[in-house]
Parts: sequence; structure tokens; C-alpha cells
Amino acid sequence: MGKTLFEKIWESHIVVEKQNSPTLIYIDRHLVHEVTSPQAFDGLRQNNRKVRRPDLTIATMDHNVPTTDRTLPILDQTSSVQIKTLEKNCKDFGIKLFDIDSPNQGIVHVIGPQLGITLPGTTIVCGDSHTSTHGAFGALALGIGTSDVEHVLASQTMWLEKPKPFEIRVEGKRKNPHAVTAKDIILSIIKNIGTSGGTGTVIEYRGEGITDLSMEQRMTICNMSIEAGARAGLIAPDEKTFDYLRGREYTPKNYESLVDSWKEHLKTDNDAKFEKEFVLHIDDIAPQVSWGTNPGMTCDVTDSVPSPDEFSNGDPNQKRGAEKALDYMNLKSGTPIEDIKIDRVFIGSCTNARLEDLIEASKVIKGQKISSHVKAMVVPGSQMVKKQAEEMGLDKIFINANFEWRESGCSMCLGMNPDILSPGERCASTSNRNFEGRQGTGGQTHLVSPVMAAAAAIHGHFVDVREMDLS
Amino acid sequence: MKGNIIKYARDNIDTDVIIPGTYLKIHDYTELATHAMEGLDPDFHSKVKEGDFILSGKNFGCGSSREHAPIALSHSGIKAVLALSFARIFYRNSVDGAFLLPIEIGQDAYDGISEGDEISIDVSTNEIKNITKNQAYKMKPFSELIGKIIAAGGLFKYKPDQD
Repeated sequence: MGKTLFEKIWESHIVVEKQNSPTLIYIDRHLVHEVTSPQAFDGLRQNNRKVRRPDLTIATMDHNVPTTDRTLPILDQTSSVQIKTLEKNCKDFGIKLFDIDSPNQGIVHVIGPQLGITLPGTTIVCGDSHTSTHGAFGALALGIGTSDVEHVLASQTMWLEKPKPFEIRVEGKRKNPHAVTAKDIILSIIKNIGTSGGTGTVIEYRGEGITDLSMEQRMTICNMSIEAGARAGLIAPDEKTFDYLRGREYTPKNYESLVDSWKEHLKTDNDAKFEKEFVLHIDDIAPQVSWGTNPGMTCDVTDSVPSPDEFSNGDPNQKRGAEKALDYMNLKSGTPIEDIKIDRVFIGSCTNARLEDLIEASKVIKGQKISSHVKAMVVPGSQMVKKQAEEMGLDKIFINANFEWRESGCSMCLGMNPDILSPGERCASTSNRNFEGRQGTGGQTHLVSPVMAAAAAIHGHFVDVREMDLS
Repeated sequence: MKGNIIKYARDNIDTDVIIPGTYLKIHDYTELATHAMEGLDPDFHSKVKEGDFILSGKNFGCGSSREHAPIALSHSGIKAVLALSFARIFYRNSVDGAFLLPIEIGQDAYDGISEGDEISIDVSTNEIKNITKNQAYKMKPFSELIGKIIAAGGLFKYKPDQD
């Protein structure tokens, strides 16, 4: 019987395999950031261990770096300590670090692919759940906790029970691909399969609706695999993948011979079997807006906020969850999504802060001003994205519309730095999680695509971007 | 293992309510624990006692890979979380650092156990006893390796060579 892409990558990384026992797999790349690594390095020191492969370990600082003027000192002392600790750890253990002043600094999941560090067929881990992003390149990319970070630093391996392959086929063609984006596809998937629909699986996204996407759009899809509970998400590499990685700063010297081998091996065989399947038809899908407090609580922009009964289908826990979510979000069932007024707009995060995202959002706002009651910011995913955007003049478009144009980092996606919502503030956000308090205590998050966020900034409430000219 | 139940009768308790992002900069675990569950239950810190268990629904611990989530619960005194199902990274983190026992339960235990009930858990027989209500339920057994890591006291104390 044939094998899935996931199984092929898995099998080529087995170090130890025993019957009825998890497998020890080799890790090709380990990405490190300032928040989930300090205790791991402390653990190495306490046990007199070294980093086994510093040459395969790359670090940057993204989670709590300020996004304001970087020539000024960092006022938050605890953030400053975490940043300095990472600098010291990287120096002590010989790890390459893109620090706060580096032109390569940025969100770890944005810089990996941009620098050619993320490669097809490899295993990648990072102490961050959105590591699944790198699966867009046909890599098996896993988010891990700090104990596993320490284990990988010390051994370049990790124990894993083999996840099950899950096929998600995205069929059809979007009528307006500028208005209905990769974000809307992945939110539609999570809305359908639920936030634990992918638990214990590695999703392979397939079909015309996926191969049609650019690499940056594919990253948006794979990024949110974790929001469906999956261990990882991946997409078979193709010419778009190979073109994207060609000639980047850390792309291997023997790249073309690697491409030949990838073309031959990195695909799911026709007779391979998935343990689970789901099909999404995208011909008629609408822009999505989350209304609740997890990414599965999402509906079409043209819908109204559902009632807990409608949402829960008779499941009492789901019903209670929806009631609690509506209460937290200060929303009433039956309110049209387009009537929901917003206070803040955040265009950023590892989900949607790449160059294409900024280009698409800028088309919506060009020559316009944001609504007078809205505060809006753009936080590019990396310094490289920021520079490229500035070379295209996108910064001016945003600034002229009264957006703030910031330095790169995770920023308001998770509220670790000063970029947070105040209690009761409602935000249209291009990030990945609408959990209670995620963007600041009492803050209310609606997950949307960059074009939907930009349009909400202009109008002060959600609007259907299919009615705008975005070509 | 014996303790009292704190019940959150809902699904999808996420890592951001277990320990909000702003506290991930705290390295002192005792201080970190004072913010556990703050996003969901501001009274948690004042009511939790050493040895208590949390009971909840499906997909407990979804979201971030932050190990701070099981650490904050563990340093609050929580010895086990009983849930209908777990998000995998939270489950793994709980076991790796031997912070707490993630125990998968069935609908009978979820429905039968109430806030404040005194419970005993025996992982050798996979039995959960509700002392308050004089009921018994089965937990889902740990897989072989998880059981070994738990018995060893965490990933770094487990020595696979000696199997």
C-alpha cells in the first residue's frame, strides 16, 4: 500500500522504533525564541549538557519585543530580562541569534521560510504551537513545550506517538480570491471540524483550492492547523514551493539536487490511505468572522450571531460555552455581523503579517482614512517584510489612512508586550486566537482576514469585502 | 491520590485562560501560580487547596504550547486534571515535566462528579472513586510509555535504555 507524505517524512526520521511504543524521531531544525526557552537552557546547565547541534538551532526574539522605536530602551523590565537571557544563552551555547537589531529579526514562523531555513521533507520544532506554519513547505513541523525544547537541545530528537494522517481536501475555485482568502478557507475548515477535530492527527491539505494558493497563503492555512487541535498540518511541495525557497540567505548550496529528490519523494502516493477525511468546497464560501471565544465559533460575514441553541446542536457543554462566549464578547444572538462596531484593528501575527497580506490590505485602504473611532495598527511579521513593504510604499498608504506602522514581532496577537486591548475594546484581528483575554484582559477579538480587517478599519464595523473592488 | 474537585463544566478550556500571556515573563513559579485560571475564574487562587483536582470537558488545554499552563496549575496545588479529552501539547507538557496527571475520563465520571466532591484516583487499577457520593468510574489507562514517564517522574528521569 502507498504512503502519505506525512508517513514518508516520519519514516525517514526514525531513530528508535519499538513495537507498541512511541518513536524517537530526529529533528532537522530547532527554532528558539525568548519565552519558552530560558528554563530549557537552565536545565542544560544544571545537568552539564551542551546543545547537541547548535548549527541546526536558530533563535530570534519575537513574543515580547516592543514594536515601537527600537533605539529606545525596553521599559518592561521582565521583557528586557527575557530578551537579555536569550542573548546570553545563545552566546553561551553557540547558537545563531537574530537579535532585536538584526535585519533578519521577526516572528519565528515568518523568518524561517523567508531565510530558507524551512525546507521540504524536514522535521522542524519550536516551543510555539504555531510551528505548524512551516508545514506549508512540506515539512513536518511541531509545536512543543519547554521540556521538549530542552530534550531537543540536548539530543536533537524527540519521542512521539505516531499521529494519524488526516486528509482535508479543498475543492473548487473562489469567485473572488482577493476577497475570499486563505484565512477564510482555514476558518471555514475549523468552523466545520471544530477545535478538536484534528486532535492526534497530522493534516495534509490537498486539492485545487490548496494548490491554487501562493506560498504565503499556504502558510496561513497550515498556521491554524493547531486551532483544529492537529499536531501539524502540511502541504506537498510543488514548483511554487521550490521557487519561493530558491536563492534565500540560508538555502542550501546543493539546492537544485535537493529539489530533484523532493519532486520524486515528497508526495502522497495515489493508493495511500488516510485515517480521516474532510472535504471543503470553496466555490461559494464567504469572508469569515469569528463571533465567540475560540476559532470554531465563526460564521459568514453575511450571517448573524448565532444563538447558543443553534450553535450547540443539543450538546450542553457547547451550549454553555456559547452562552459564556456571547456574554464575554458582549454580543446578542441575532445581531448581524455587519452591525458589529469595532474599536481596534490589528494587522499582524504569524498567521497574516507577510508581504502579500499587507499588499492586499493596502488595496482596501488606499486613499481612505480609517473611521474616526477606530485605532488601527500594522505590525509586519519581520523586519524583512517591513523593509520590502516600505520599498513598495505600503507604509505610506497605511500611515496616510491613520494606521500606526510598527516594528516586527508577535505584538497584539498574544498581549505579551505593551500592545494590548483595554477591557471592553473590540478588535478586528488578523491573528489566530480569539480566546478570552488573549489580546488583553477583557479584550474582545474577532478573527478575520487582512482585507476584512482593513475594510472594518475604514467603515468602523464589519463589511463584506466581496462588494469592494480589490483587483 | 485523594483530593477535592474544582469543576469547570465546559469544553475548550484554553491555555490563555489557564495562564494569560502577559504572565509568561514570570520565572518564579510560586508567583506564576497566583495568576492560574485568572482569565476564567478570578477566585481560583483563593479557593484552590494543595492536592485538589480540576474536572472539565473536552479539549482541555487547547491553544498555546506554553508549559507555563501545567506549571501554573501544578504550583497552585493541582495534582490532576480530569477531562473528557485533552489538547495534545498540554497533555504532553503535563507528563514531560511531571507537573500533574492528565486523566481522561468518560461521560459517567464527568456527569457524576460535582464541584467539591472528594475523589480518589488509583492509576494502577485505573479506578476513580467518588468518596462523597460513593460512586466509582474508570479512567482511560495511560499508554505504556506515558505510564513509564509518569512513574519515573518526568521525561528527564525516564531512562528508555533500561526497558
